[in-house]
Amino acid sequence: MTAAGELWFSWPGRFLAVVLPTLTAVCLVILANTPVSFTGYLLPAPVLALAAVYFWVLVRPDLMPPLAVLAIGSLEDLLSGGPPGLWAAGFLAAYVLTDRQRETFAGLTGLGAVVAFAGVMLLAGSTAYGLACVVSMRWAPLPPLLLECVTTVAFYPLVVRPMGWVQRKFVGSLRNGA
Amino acid sequence: MAGFGWRLTRGRGAKQFTLIACAVSAVAIALLGKADGPIFDKARAELSDWTGPVLSDVRGPLIGFERWFGNLGTIFTVYSDNAELRRENAELHKWQEVALSLESRLHRYEHLLNVVPDPKLPFITARVIGEASRPFVKTMILNAGTAQQVKKGQAVVDDRGLLGRIYVTGEDTSWVILLTDLNSRVPVVIESSHRRAILVGDNTPAPQLELDVGDGPIKPGDRVLSTGDGGLLPPDVPVGVVMGEGDTVRVALFAAPGTSDFVHIVDYHMAEPPPATDSVPGVGSPKTAANSQAASNIPAKITSVLAVKPPPPPAAVKPPPLLSQDPNQPQFDGQTEEQDR
Repeated sequence: MTAAGELWFSWPGRFLAVVLPTLTAVCLVILANTPVSFTGYLLPAPVLALAAVYFWVLVRPDLMPPLAVLAIGSLEDLLSGGPPGLWAAGFLAAYVLTDRQRETFAGLTGLGAVVAFAGVMLLAGSTAYGLACVVSMRWAPLPPLLLECVTTVAFYPLVVRPMGWVQRKFVGSLRNGA
Repeated sequence: MAGFGWRLTRGRGAKQFTLIACAVSAVAIALLGKADGPIFDKARAELSDWTGPVLSDVRGPLIGFERWFGNLGTIFTVYSDNAELRRENAELHKWQEVALSLESRLHRYEHLLNVVPDPKLPFITARVIGEASRPFVKTMILNAGTAQQVKKGQAVVDDRGLLGRIYVTGEDTSWVILLTDLNSRVPVVIESSHRRAILVGDNTPAPQLELDVGDGPIKPGDRVLSTGDGGLLPPDVPVGVVMGEGDTVRVALFAAPGTSDFVHIVDYHMAEPPPATDSVPGVGSPKTAANSQAASNIPAKITSVLAVKPPPPPAAVKPPPLLSQDPNQPQFDGQTEEQDR
């Protein structure tokens, strides 16, 4: 293959590698905010995008910059219909913790990985909760938030598996120009 | 292995700067969203307008599955539920007779007192195309917007009672802030004691009742209605019943957003007060003369009370239509109770 041909094939590949993590998170935001509940609104919808942000910050932090995290969080706020900025701040708090403890979290498997994500989710939820209390100038009830944390953690293993597949099949190989 | 301590100065200058800038932006968005909501509301309205047709198409099949899935547990209680419904139905039949009798009496009293009937409120019926039940928001998306004359602040009701009010309007969609939402505050009145209160949503299924003025007793089961205070919502729309006593009184809502497919958006405007004038126009005119003739049959005690009240505006003098629209309802021929006898 000529040098020009290699450039042609490497360019879309590199571009896709850069946008795919953000794109998967955006898809999860849309999926989580589909305005239908399968539990008759007994359980809140999980914050699926946080699992994607957590995964990509651990696996490929260079492809999940803070600006993308802010955009994903803002989209979550916009689609959920809630006050703007809450989940954006929550996602950024999760980003900071995951980035700082990346080496520790990346080595965890099985239940340990789920517990680590639960900690990150709790921090994100607490940040959003604190900001919600400030914005609404009153104490928001905690049980709905805790229920959302539990739901999100329960969905974490289901989200991580396809993410890992996307990483192996597309992001890892495409970025190397394969 | 990385330590658990925070390492704020990690030597990644550009990344740190971006991170701090993003964090500041997120907090600013939250505070700006509170102070200057229209920017975000407009974005939200644009988004719902754009996704509205898709939501309408997707929701139909999904809602069927959702209800089927949500009602799976009820198959185990279907026998007891059926027995309970039969018992309730028999009881409601008795109440229906009482209600019809009282309605007939009310019509008669209204006629005797020459009561001005409440104006019919115009409304738009819209379809629910989406709902969100999250820790910080309880909302609903409707398929009617400014193109259908929907305006911000209008009340949204279903067949059972008040659901909430419109807070964002797009061209073809609108968002409803439900009574259970954290940011919802609605003026209400307790029907039995006429005590005023504010219904405050806290993202739980039963919003709190913050008692306002008056010291009338409140007991579980008392009906809660909306008031027209502030011109925000139409008065006397059923909201729910009081549950609990003591410091935290809550309201079990009549309306159920989860099962509402179609809702009414009520176009309510508070009536303009009549202009303050020294002389009351229309006094002594033929219309008022006819009115006073009708009032001559009212017992003296009541007429003395009526005399103290300020005279009604000219439009109020005209007698209301006396014939009921419903052929099954008792008809009135314009005669007073005494003339009937």
